[in-house]
Amino acid sequence: MIEAVGANMLLASASGADLPGVNDFLPPEILFQGTPFAINRIILIRIVATILLLIILGITAARAKLIPGRWQGLIEYGMDFVRNSVVYETMGELRGKRYVPMITTLFFTIFFFNLFGVIPGANMAATATITMPLVFAIWVLVQYWVAACREKGLWGYIRDECFTPGVPWPVYILLAPIQLLELVIIRPASLTIRLFANMISGHLTVATCLAFAQFWMIESSNKMVGVPVGAAWFLGGIVMTLFEVFVAFLQAYVFSILATVYINLSYPEAE
Amino acid sequence: MTFAASKGINLFIPKVYDIVWSLIILAIVAVFFYKFFMPKFNAIFDERAEKIEGNIAKAKKAKEDADSAKKKYEDQLNHARVDASKITDNARSEATKIISDAHTRADKEAEQITSNAQRSIASQQQQAMVTLKSEVGTLATALAGKILGSKLQDSDVQSNMLDDMIDDLDKKTDNTK
Amino acid sequence: MDIITLAAVSGNLSVIGYGLATLGPGLGLGILFGKAMESTARQPEVSGKIQMIMFIGLALVEVLGLLGFVAALVL
Repeated sequence: MIEAVGANMLLASASGADLPGVNDFLPPEILFQGTPFAINRIILIRIVATILLLIILGITAARAKLIPGRWQGLIEYGMDFVRNSVVYETMGELRGKRYVPMITTLFFTIFFFNLFGVIPGANMAATATITMPLVFAIWVLVQYWVAACREKGLWGYIRDECFTPGVPWPVYILLAPIQLLELVIIRPASLTIRLFANMISGHLTVATCLAFAQFWMIESSNKMVGVPVGAAWFLGGIVMTLFEVFVAFLQAYVFSILATVYINLSYPEAE
Repeated sequence: MTFAASKGINLFIPKVYDIVWSLIILAIVAVFFYKFFMPKFNAIFDERAEKIEGNIAKAKKAKEDADSAKKKYEDQLNHARVDASKITDNARSEATKIISDAHTRADKEAEQITSNAQRSIASQQQQAMVTLKSEVGTLATALAGKILGSKLQDSDVQSNMLDDMIDDLDKKTDNTK
Repeated sequence: MDIITLAAVSGNLSVIGYGLATLGPGLGLGILFGKAMESTARQPEVSGKIQMIMFIGLALVEVLGLLGFVAALVL
Protein backbone atom coordinates (compact mmCIF):
# COMPACT_ATOMS: atom_id res chain seq x y z
CA MET A 1 0.00 0.00 0.00
CA ILE A 2 2.64 2.45 1.10
CA GLU A 3 4.79 1.51 -1.81
CA ALA A 4 1.87 2.06 -4.10
CA VAL A 5 1.28 5.48 -2.61
CA GLY A 6 4.94 6.28 -2.97
CA ALA A 7 4.97 5.18 -6.54
CA ASN A 8 1.85 7.15 -7.26
CA MET A 9 3.40 10.18 -5.61
CA LEU A 10 6.46 9.95 -7.77
CA LEU A 11 4.18 9.61 -10.72
CA ALA A 12 2.18 12.57 -9.53
CA SER A 13 5.14 14.88 -9.16
CA ALA A 14 6.34 13.73 -12.53
CA SER A 15 3.01 14.06 -14.27
CA GLY A 16 2.04 17.43 -12.93
CA ALA A 17 0.38 18.25 -9.66
CA ASP A 18 0.68 22.02 -9.89
CA LEU A 19 3.55 22.29 -7.44
CA PRO A 20 4.75 25.69 -6.26
CA GLY A 21 8.29 26.80 -6.91
CA VAL A 22 10.53 29.80 -6.75
CA ASN A 23 8.76 31.18 -9.79
CA ASP A 24 5.85 32.07 -7.51
CA PHE A 25 8.08 34.69 -5.98
CA LEU A 26 9.21 36.12 -9.27
CA PRO A 27 5.93 37.02 -10.90
CA PRO A 28 5.90 38.97 -14.17
CA GLU A 29 5.37 42.69 -14.14
CA ILE A 30 1.77 43.54 -14.92
CA LEU A 31 1.72 47.34 -14.80
CA PHE A 32 4.16 50.06 -15.91
CA GLN A 33 6.53 47.42 -17.29
CA GLY A 34 10.11 48.54 -17.54
CA THR A 35 9.76 51.70 -15.44
CA PRO A 36 11.00 52.07 -11.84
CA PHE A 37 7.33 51.97 -10.82
CA ALA A 38 6.58 48.59 -12.36
CA ILE A 39 4.06 46.54 -10.38
CA ASN A 40 3.94 42.78 -10.19
CA ARG A 41 1.59 40.55 -8.25
CA ILE A 42 3.45 40.72 -4.93
CA ILE A 43 3.81 44.50 -5.11
CA LEU A 44 0.13 44.79 -5.89
CA ILE A 45 -0.61 42.69 -2.80
CA ARG A 46 1.73 44.92 -0.83
CA ILE A 47 -0.02 48.09 -1.98
CA VAL A 48 -3.44 46.62 -1.18
CA ALA A 49 -2.14 45.50 2.22
CA THR A 50 -0.80 48.97 2.93
CA ILE A 51 -4.07 50.60 2.01
CA LEU A 52 -6.02 48.11 4.16
CA LEU A 53 -3.63 48.63 7.06
CA LEU A 54 -4.01 52.40 6.83
CA ILE A 55 -7.79 52.16 6.56
CA ILE A 56 -8.23 49.68 9.42
CA LEU A 57 -5.83 51.29 11.87
CA GLY A 58 -6.82 54.78 10.73
CA ILE A 59 -10.50 54.13 11.44
CA THR A 60 -9.59 52.48 14.73
CA ALA A 61 -7.49 55.45 15.76
CA ALA A 62 -10.02 58.00 14.55
CA ARG A 63 -12.82 56.33 16.44
CA ALA A 64 -10.71 55.54 19.47
CA LYS A 65 -12.60 56.14 22.65
CA LEU A 66 -11.66 56.37 26.28
CA ILE A 67 -13.52 53.17 27.04
CA PRO A 68 -12.34 50.71 24.41
CA GLY A 69 -14.62 48.35 22.55
CA ARG A 70 -13.55 44.85 21.61
CA TRP A 71 -11.67 45.75 18.46
CA GLN A 72 -9.97 48.75 20.00
CA GLY A 73 -9.13 46.60 23.01
CA LEU A 74 -7.40 44.11 20.71
CA ILE A 75 -5.36 46.83 19.00
CA GLU A 76 -4.48 48.34 22.36
CA TYR A 77 -3.46 44.92 23.62
CA GLY A 78 -1.09 44.66 20.67
CA MET A 79 0.34 48.11 21.37
CA ASP A 80 0.74 47.27 25.05
CA PHE A 81 2.47 44.05 24.09
CA VAL A 82 4.98 45.84 21.87
CA ARG A 83 5.58 48.61 24.36
CA ASN A 84 5.94 46.56 27.52
CA SER A 85 7.00 43.06 26.48
CA VAL A 86 9.27 44.05 23.62
CA VAL A 87 10.66 47.54 24.12
CA TYR A 88 10.56 48.30 27.84
CA GLU A 89 11.51 44.75 28.82
CA THR A 90 14.64 44.98 26.71
CA MET A 91 15.70 48.62 26.89
CA GLY A 92 14.07 49.97 30.00
CA GLU A 93 11.50 52.72 29.93
CA LEU A 94 13.88 55.68 29.79
CA ARG A 95 15.68 54.65 26.60
CA GLY A 96 12.77 52.80 25.11
CA LYS A 97 10.36 55.71 24.89
CA ARG A 98 12.04 57.10 21.79
CA TYR A 99 11.77 53.80 19.92
CA VAL A 100 8.24 52.75 20.78
CA PRO A 101 6.69 54.24 17.61
CA MET A 102 9.35 52.65 15.41
CA ILE A 103 9.01 49.19 16.91
CA THR A 104 5.22 49.47 16.87
CA THR A 105 5.37 50.37 13.20
CA LEU A 106 7.63 47.41 12.48
CA PHE A 107 5.54 44.95 14.47
CA PHE A 108 2.14 45.91 13.13
CA THR A 109 3.29 46.29 9.54
CA ILE A 110 5.21 43.03 9.41
CA PHE A 111 2.45 41.12 11.17
CA PHE A 112 -0.23 42.47 8.85
CA PHE A 113 1.89 41.93 5.74
CA ASN A 114 2.74 38.38 6.83
CA LEU A 115 -0.93 37.58 7.32
CA PHE A 116 -1.50 38.05 3.60
CA GLY A 117 0.24 34.72 3.14
CA VAL A 118 -2.90 32.99 4.36
CA ILE A 119 -5.61 35.39 3.23
CA PRO A 120 -7.48 33.72 0.37
CA GLY A 121 -7.06 35.53 -2.91
CA ALA A 122 -3.68 36.91 -1.94
CA ASN A 123 -2.02 33.69 -0.70
CA MET A 124 1.29 35.47 -0.75
CA ALA A 125 2.76 37.43 2.10
CA ALA A 126 3.35 41.06 1.25
CA THR A 127 6.80 40.64 2.76
CA ALA A 128 7.62 37.77 0.41
CA THR A 129 10.21 39.52 -1.69
CA ILE A 130 13.66 40.18 -0.36
CA THR A 131 13.23 43.94 -0.66
CA MET A 132 10.53 44.62 1.90
CA PRO A 133 12.33 42.89 4.80
CA LEU A 134 15.57 44.42 3.54
CA VAL A 135 14.12 47.91 3.74
CA PHE A 136 12.87 47.25 7.26
CA ALA A 137 16.29 45.86 8.21
CA ILE A 138 18.10 48.85 6.76
CA TRP A 139 15.84 51.13 8.77
CA VAL A 140 16.91 49.22 11.88
CA LEU A 141 20.56 49.40 10.78
CA VAL A 142 20.35 53.17 10.36
CA GLN A 143 18.63 53.53 13.71
CA TYR A 144 21.25 51.63 15.63
CA TRP A 145 24.15 53.36 13.94
CA VAL A 146 22.55 56.74 14.61
CA ALA A 147 21.97 55.78 18.24
CA ALA A 148 25.58 54.62 18.53
CA CYS A 149 26.97 57.82 17.00
CA ARG A 150 24.86 59.90 19.36
CA GLU A 151 25.72 57.93 22.49
CA LYS A 152 29.34 56.89 22.02
CA GLY A 153 30.55 58.61 18.89
CA LEU A 154 31.27 56.66 15.73
CA TRP A 155 34.83 55.65 16.64
CA GLY A 156 33.91 54.89 20.21
CA TYR A 157 31.21 52.52 19.01
CA ILE A 158 33.44 50.73 16.52
CA ARG A 159 36.21 50.49 19.12
CA ASP A 160 33.86 49.09 21.74
CA GLU A 161 32.38 46.52 19.38
CA CYS A 162 35.48 45.40 17.46
CA PHE A 163 38.10 45.70 20.17
CA THR A 164 36.09 44.52 23.13
CA PRO A 165 38.10 45.26 26.26
CA GLY A 166 39.34 42.35 28.33
CA VAL A 167 40.37 40.16 25.38
CA PRO A 168 44.03 39.24 24.74
CA TRP A 169 45.28 41.20 21.73
CA PRO A 170 45.98 38.35 19.25
CA VAL A 171 42.31 37.49 19.31
CA TYR A 172 41.52 40.92 17.86
CA ILE A 173 42.98 39.82 14.53
CA LEU A 174 40.18 37.32 14.29
CA LEU A 175 37.53 39.14 16.28
CA ALA A 176 37.64 42.64 14.83
CA PRO A 177 36.76 41.79 11.20
CA ILE A 178 34.03 39.39 12.31
CA GLN A 179 32.48 41.97 14.60
CA LEU A 180 32.65 44.66 11.93
CA LEU A 181 31.12 42.26 9.43
CA GLU A 182 28.36 41.52 11.90
CA LEU A 183 27.64 45.18 12.57
CA VAL A 184 27.40 46.11 8.93
CA ILE A 185 26.16 43.03 7.09
CA ILE A 186 25.19 40.06 9.19
CA ARG A 187 22.67 41.83 11.42
CA PRO A 188 20.52 43.32 8.65
CA ALA A 189 21.07 40.31 6.41
CA SER A 190 19.92 37.87 9.08
CA LEU A 191 16.90 40.02 9.88
CA THR A 192 16.02 40.15 6.19
CA ILE A 193 16.59 36.54 5.33
CA ARG A 194 14.88 35.22 8.46
CA LEU A 195 11.66 36.97 7.61
CA PHE A 196 11.91 36.34 3.88
CA ALA A 197 12.80 32.66 4.25
CA ASN A 198 9.95 32.08 6.66
CA MET A 199 7.51 33.59 4.21
CA ILE A 200 8.88 31.54 1.31
CA SER A 201 8.87 28.27 3.19
CA GLY A 202 5.41 28.97 4.60
CA HIS A 203 4.00 29.64 1.18
CA LEU A 204 5.73 26.63 -0.31
CA THR A 205 4.48 24.30 2.44
CA VAL A 206 0.86 25.44 2.29
CA ALA A 207 0.82 25.53 -1.48
CA THR A 208 2.37 22.06 -1.73
CA CYS A 209 -0.23 20.61 0.62
CA LEU A 210 -3.09 22.21 -1.29
CA ALA A 211 -1.66 21.29 -4.68
CA PHE A 212 -1.42 17.64 -3.69
CA ALA A 213 -4.91 17.76 -2.20
CA GLN A 214 -6.21 19.13 -5.49
CA PHE A 215 -4.31 16.54 -7.46
CA TRP A 216 -5.35 13.51 -5.42
CA MET A 217 -8.97 14.39 -4.89
CA ILE A 218 -9.88 15.77 -8.30
CA GLU A 219 -7.32 14.91 -10.93
CA SER A 220 -6.36 11.43 -9.79
CA SER A 221 -8.02 8.67 -11.76
CA ASN A 222 -8.00 6.20 -8.87
CA LYS A 223 -10.66 7.70 -6.58
CA MET A 224 -10.46 4.87 -4.01
CA VAL A 225 -6.93 5.83 -3.06
CA GLY A 226 -7.10 9.42 -4.19
CA VAL A 227 -9.85 10.81 -1.98
CA PRO A 228 -8.48 9.75 1.45
CA VAL A 229 -4.93 10.69 0.52
CA GLY A 230 -6.15 14.01 -0.83
CA ALA A 231 -8.18 14.57 2.34
CA ALA A 232 -5.06 13.95 4.41
CA TRP A 233 -3.16 16.48 2.30
CA PHE A 234 -6.02 18.95 2.70
CA LEU A 235 -6.00 18.49 6.47
CA GLY A 236 -2.26 19.08 6.39
CA GLY A 237 -2.93 22.25 4.41
CA ILE A 238 -5.34 23.51 7.06
CA VAL A 239 -2.88 22.75 9.84
CA MET A 240 -0.06 24.44 7.95
CA THR A 241 -2.28 27.47 7.31
CA LEU A 242 -2.92 27.84 11.03
CA PHE A 243 0.79 27.35 11.63
CA GLU A 244 1.45 30.12 9.12
CA VAL A 245 -0.70 32.51 11.17
CA PHE A 246 1.40 31.64 14.18
CA VAL A 247 4.61 32.09 12.18
CA ALA A 248 3.35 35.46 10.95
CA PHE A 249 3.04 36.61 14.54
CA LEU A 250 6.27 34.96 15.63
CA GLN A 251 8.34 36.53 12.87
CA ALA A 252 6.91 39.97 13.56
CA TYR A 253 7.76 39.45 17.23
CA VAL A 254 11.28 38.19 16.54
CA PHE A 255 11.95 40.98 14.07
CA SER A 256 10.84 43.68 16.45
CA ILE A 257 12.62 42.24 19.49
CA LEU A 258 15.85 41.77 17.54
CA ALA A 259 15.59 45.34 16.28
CA THR A 260 15.18 46.48 19.89
CA VAL A 261 18.10 44.38 21.06
CA TYR A 262 20.38 45.70 18.31
CA ILE A 263 19.46 49.29 19.10
CA ASN A 264 19.97 48.63 22.79
CA LEU A 265 23.45 47.24 22.08
CA SER A 266 24.40 50.63 20.67
CA TYR A 267 23.89 52.23 24.06
CA PRO A 268 26.53 52.14 26.78
CA GLU A 269 26.37 49.15 29.07
CA ALA A 270 25.55 51.04 32.25
CA GLU A 271 21.83 51.02 32.92
CA MET B 1 20.78 23.09 -13.90
CA THR B 2 22.11 26.54 -14.71
CA PHE B 3 18.54 27.57 -15.38
CA ALA B 4 17.39 26.50 -11.90
CA ALA B 5 20.39 28.21 -10.29
CA SER B 6 19.73 31.51 -11.99
CA LYS B 7 16.10 31.32 -10.88
CA GLY B 8 17.03 30.70 -7.26
CA ILE B 9 19.50 33.50 -7.01
CA ASN B 10 17.00 35.92 -8.49
CA LEU B 11 15.09 35.68 -5.23
CA PHE B 12 17.90 37.42 -3.41
CA ILE B 13 18.58 40.17 -5.90
CA PRO B 14 16.35 43.16 -5.24
CA LYS B 15 14.77 44.72 -8.28
CA VAL B 16 14.68 48.46 -8.77
CA TYR B 17 10.92 48.80 -8.86
CA ASP B 18 10.65 46.56 -5.84
CA ILE B 19 12.97 48.83 -3.88
CA VAL B 20 11.04 51.90 -5.01
CA TRP B 21 7.69 50.50 -3.93
CA SER B 22 9.06 49.14 -0.66
CA LEU B 23 10.51 52.53 0.23
CA ILE B 24 7.30 54.32 -0.69
CA ILE B 25 5.25 51.92 1.40
CA LEU B 26 7.62 52.09 4.34
CA ALA B 27 7.56 55.88 4.22
CA ILE B 28 3.76 55.96 4.08
CA VAL B 29 3.38 53.47 6.91
CA ALA B 30 6.01 55.15 9.06
CA VAL B 31 4.50 58.59 8.58
CA PHE B 32 1.07 57.19 9.37
CA PHE B 33 2.28 55.57 12.57
CA TYR B 34 4.50 58.44 13.72
CA LYS B 35 2.17 61.31 12.88
CA PHE B 36 -1.28 59.87 13.42
CA PHE B 37 -1.60 56.47 15.01
CA MET B 38 0.80 56.70 17.95
CA PRO B 39 -0.02 60.28 19.00
CA LYS B 40 -3.71 59.53 18.87
CA PHE B 41 -3.42 56.43 21.01
CA ASN B 42 -0.91 58.03 23.34
CA ALA B 43 -3.34 60.88 23.91
CA ILE B 44 -6.02 58.34 24.73
CA PHE B 45 -3.70 56.42 27.05
CA ASP B 46 -2.71 59.63 28.82
CA GLU B 47 -6.30 60.73 29.15
CA ARG B 48 -7.26 57.34 30.52
CA ALA B 49 -4.38 57.34 33.00
CA GLU B 50 -5.37 60.82 34.09
CA LYS B 51 -8.96 59.77 34.53
CA ILE B 52 -7.99 56.69 36.49
CA GLU B 53 -5.73 58.79 38.68
CA GLY B 54 -8.55 61.30 39.13
CA ASN B 55 -10.90 58.52 40.12
CA ILE B 56 -8.38 57.16 42.56
CA ALA B 57 -7.98 60.61 44.08
CA LYS B 58 -11.75 60.95 44.25
CA ALA B 59 -12.06 57.58 45.92
CA LYS B 60 -9.33 58.55 48.37
CA LYS B 61 -11.14 61.78 49.17
CA ALA B 62 -14.42 59.93 49.64
CA LYS B 63 -12.68 57.50 51.96
CA GLU B 64 -11.18 60.36 53.91
CA ASP B 65 -14.58 62.00 54.18
CA ALA B 66 -16.11 58.78 55.37
CA ASP B 67 -13.30 58.32 57.88
CA SER B 68 -13.70 61.81 59.26
CA ALA B 69 -17.48 61.42 59.45
CA LYS B 70 -17.04 58.13 61.22
CA LYS B 71 -14.59 59.73 63.62
CA LYS B 72 -17.04 62.54 64.24
CA TYR B 73 -19.84 60.11 64.96
CA GLU B 74 -17.64 58.08 67.23
CA ASP B 75 -16.61 61.23 69.08
CA GLN B 76 -20.22 62.20 69.41
CA LEU B 77 -21.07 58.78 70.64
CA ASN B 78 -18.29 58.95 73.20
CA HIS B 79 -19.45 62.39 74.25
CA ALA B 80 -22.99 61.13 74.60
CA ARG B 81 -21.79 58.20 76.61
CA VAL B 82 -19.79 60.47 78.91
CA ASP B 83 -22.71 62.84 79.17
CA ALA B 84 -25.06 60.04 80.03
CA SER B 85 -22.79 58.73 82.71
CA LYS B 86 -22.36 62.24 84.04
CA ILE B 87 -26.10 62.71 84.08
CA THR B 88 -26.67 59.45 85.88
CA ASP B 89 -23.96 60.39 88.37
CA ASN B 90 -25.56 63.76 88.88
CA ALA B 91 -28.94 62.22 89.27
CA ARG B 92 -27.62 59.71 91.71
CA SER B 93 -25.85 62.35 93.80
CA GLU B 94 -28.89 64.57 93.63
CA ALA B 95 -31.05 61.71 94.74
CA THR B 96 -28.75 61.01 97.67
CA LYS B 97 -28.74 64.71 98.45
CA ILE B 98 -32.50 64.85 98.32
CA ILE B 99 -32.75 61.81 100.49
CA SER B 100 -30.29 63.18 103.00
CA ASP B 101 -32.07 66.54 102.91
CA ALA B 102 -35.34 64.83 103.57
CA HIS B 103 -33.71 62.89 106.35
CA THR B 104 -32.31 66.00 108.00
CA ARG B 105 -35.54 67.88 107.54
CA ALA B 106 -37.52 65.05 109.02
CA ASP B 107 -35.07 64.82 111.89
CA LYS B 108 -35.30 68.55 112.44
CA GLU B 109 -39.05 68.50 112.33
CA ALA B 110 -39.18 65.60 114.67
CA GLU B 111 -36.87 67.39 117.02
CA GLN B 112 -38.94 70.54 116.73
CA ILE B 113 -42.10 68.63 117.36
CA THR B 114 -40.57 66.93 120.35
CA SER B 115 -39.24 70.20 121.71
CA ASN B 116 -42.56 71.94 121.09
CA ALA B 117 -44.30 69.14 122.84
CA GLN B 118 -41.88 69.29 125.71
CA ARG B 119 -42.21 73.05 125.87
CA SER B 120 -45.98 72.90 125.89
CA ILE B 121 -45.81 70.17 128.46
CA ALA B 122 -43.53 72.33 130.57
CA SER B 123 -45.71 75.42 130.20
CA GLN B 124 -48.81 73.45 130.99
CA GLN B 125 -47.04 72.02 133.98
CA GLN B 126 -46.01 75.52 135.01
CA GLN B 127 -49.55 76.77 134.52
CA ALA B 128 -50.88 73.86 136.45
CA MET B 129 -48.32 74.61 139.12
CA VAL B 130 -49.28 78.27 139.25
CA THR B 131 -52.93 77.44 139.43
CA LEU B 132 -52.28 74.78 141.96
CA LYS B 133 -50.13 77.19 143.99
CA SER B 134 -52.78 79.84 144.08
CA GLU B 135 -55.57 77.39 144.78
CA VAL B 136 -53.59 75.58 147.36
CA GLY B 137 -52.65 78.92 148.87
CA THR B 138 -56.20 80.12 149.16
CA LEU B 139 -57.34 76.75 150.25
CA ALA B 140 -54.64 76.51 152.84
CA THR B 141 -55.25 80.12 154.02
CA ALA B 142 -58.90 79.48 154.36
CA LEU B 143 -58.27 76.28 156.13
CA ALA B 144 -55.69 77.77 158.41
CA GLY B 145 -57.87 80.82 159.08
CA LYS B 146 -60.66 78.57 160.06
CA ILE B 147 -58.37 76.51 162.22
CA LEU B 148 -56.40 79.21 163.92
CA GLY B 149 -59.11 81.88 163.92
CA SER B 150 -58.07 85.11 165.30
CA LYS B 151 -54.76 83.75 166.55
CA LEU B 152 -53.34 84.49 163.31
CA GLN B 153 -54.66 88.00 162.74
CA ASP B 154 -51.30 89.49 161.90
CA SER B 155 -51.06 89.49 158.21
CA ASP B 156 -47.31 89.61 158.16
CA VAL B 157 -46.97 86.39 160.05
CA GLN B 158 -49.66 84.93 157.86
CA SER B 159 -47.96 85.79 154.61
CA ASN B 160 -44.56 84.66 155.86
CA MET B 161 -45.97 81.36 156.93
CA LEU B 162 -47.64 80.98 153.55
CA ASP B 163 -44.51 81.74 151.62
CA ASP B 164 -42.52 79.23 153.63
CA MET B 165 -45.10 76.61 152.98
CA ILE B 166 -45.18 77.31 149.24
CA ASP B 167 -41.42 77.22 149.05
CA ASP B 168 -41.48 73.87 150.67
CA LEU B 169 -44.05 72.83 148.14
CA ASP B 170 -41.91 74.14 145.32
CA LYS B 171 -38.90 72.25 146.58
CA LYS B 172 -40.94 69.14 146.81
CA THR B 173 -42.25 69.46 143.21
CA ASP B 174 -38.79 70.24 141.94
CA ASN B 175 -37.46 67.12 143.56
CA THR B 176 -40.23 65.02 142.07
CA LYS B 177 -39.57 66.43 138.69
CA MET C 1 21.21 9.89 -17.62
CA ASP C 2 19.71 12.70 -19.62
CA ILE C 3 19.89 16.33 -18.57
CA ILE C 4 16.43 16.51 -16.92
CA THR C 5 17.17 13.65 -14.54
CA LEU C 6 20.39 15.32 -13.57
CA ALA C 7 18.57 18.56 -12.75
CA ALA C 8 16.11 16.65 -10.57
CA VAL C 9 18.94 15.00 -8.72
CA SER C 10 20.61 18.36 -8.20
CA GLY C 11 17.43 19.83 -6.72
CA ASN C 12 17.05 16.92 -4.36
CA LEU C 13 20.68 17.20 -3.33
CA SER C 14 20.35 20.80 -2.32
CA VAL C 15 17.27 19.96 -0.26
CA ILE C 16 19.22 17.20 1.48
CA GLY C 17 22.03 19.68 2.03
CA TYR C 18 19.60 22.10 3.60
CA GLY C 19 18.27 19.32 5.79
CA LEU C 20 21.80 18.61 6.99
CA ALA C 21 22.43 22.30 7.50
CA THR C 22 19.45 22.58 9.83
CA LEU C 23 20.83 19.93 12.16
CA GLY C 24 23.46 22.14 13.75
CA PRO C 25 21.28 25.21 14.28
CA GLY C 26 18.49 22.91 15.47
CA LEU C 27 20.71 21.50 18.21
CA GLY C 28 22.00 24.97 18.93
CA LEU C 29 18.53 26.42 19.30
CA GLY C 30 17.51 23.58 21.56
CA ILE C 31 20.49 24.10 23.84
CA LEU C 32 20.06 27.88 23.71
CA PHE C 33 16.42 27.93 24.72
CA GLY C 34 16.83 25.11 27.21
CA LYS C 35 19.65 26.90 28.99
CA ALA C 36 17.79 30.19 28.87
CA MET C 37 14.76 28.56 30.48
CA GLU C 38 16.94 26.87 33.06
CA SER C 39 18.64 30.09 34.07
CA THR C 40 15.35 31.97 34.11
CA ALA C 41 13.92 29.35 36.42
CA ARG C 42 17.00 29.64 38.60
CA GLN C 43 17.04 33.43 38.69
CA PRO C 44 13.70 34.85 37.57
CA GLU C 45 14.73 38.38 38.55
CA VAL C 46 17.20 38.72 35.66
CA SER C 47 14.85 37.17 33.07
CA GLY C 48 14.85 40.38 31.01
CA LYS C 49 18.61 40.35 30.56
CA ILE C 50 18.66 36.61 29.90
CA GLN C 51 15.99 37.04 27.28
CA MET C 52 17.96 39.77 25.56
CA ILE C 53 21.15 37.73 25.45
CA MET C 54 19.12 34.72 24.32
CA PHE C 55 17.78 36.66 21.36
CA ILE C 56 21.25 37.81 20.34
CA GLY C 57 22.33 34.19 20.44
CA LEU C 58 19.23 33.17 18.51
CA ALA C 59 20.13 35.63 15.78
CA LEU C 60 23.66 34.22 15.52
CA VAL C 61 22.53 30.59 15.54
CA GLU C 62 19.78 31.14 13.03
CA VAL C 63 22.16 32.79 10.61
CA LEU C 64 23.73 29.37 10.05
CA GLY C 65 20.40 27.76 9.22
CA LEU C 66 19.50 30.68 6.98
CA LEU C 67 22.82 30.37 5.17
CA GLY C 68 21.87 26.77 4.43
CA PHE C 69 18.51 27.92 3.12
CA VAL C 70 20.07 30.54 0.88
CA ALA C 71 22.70 28.14 -0.35
CA ALA C 72 20.07 25.53 -1.17
CA LEU C 73 18.15 28.03 -3.27
CA VAL C 74 21.07 29.83 -4.86
CA LEU C 75 23.68 27.21 -5.71
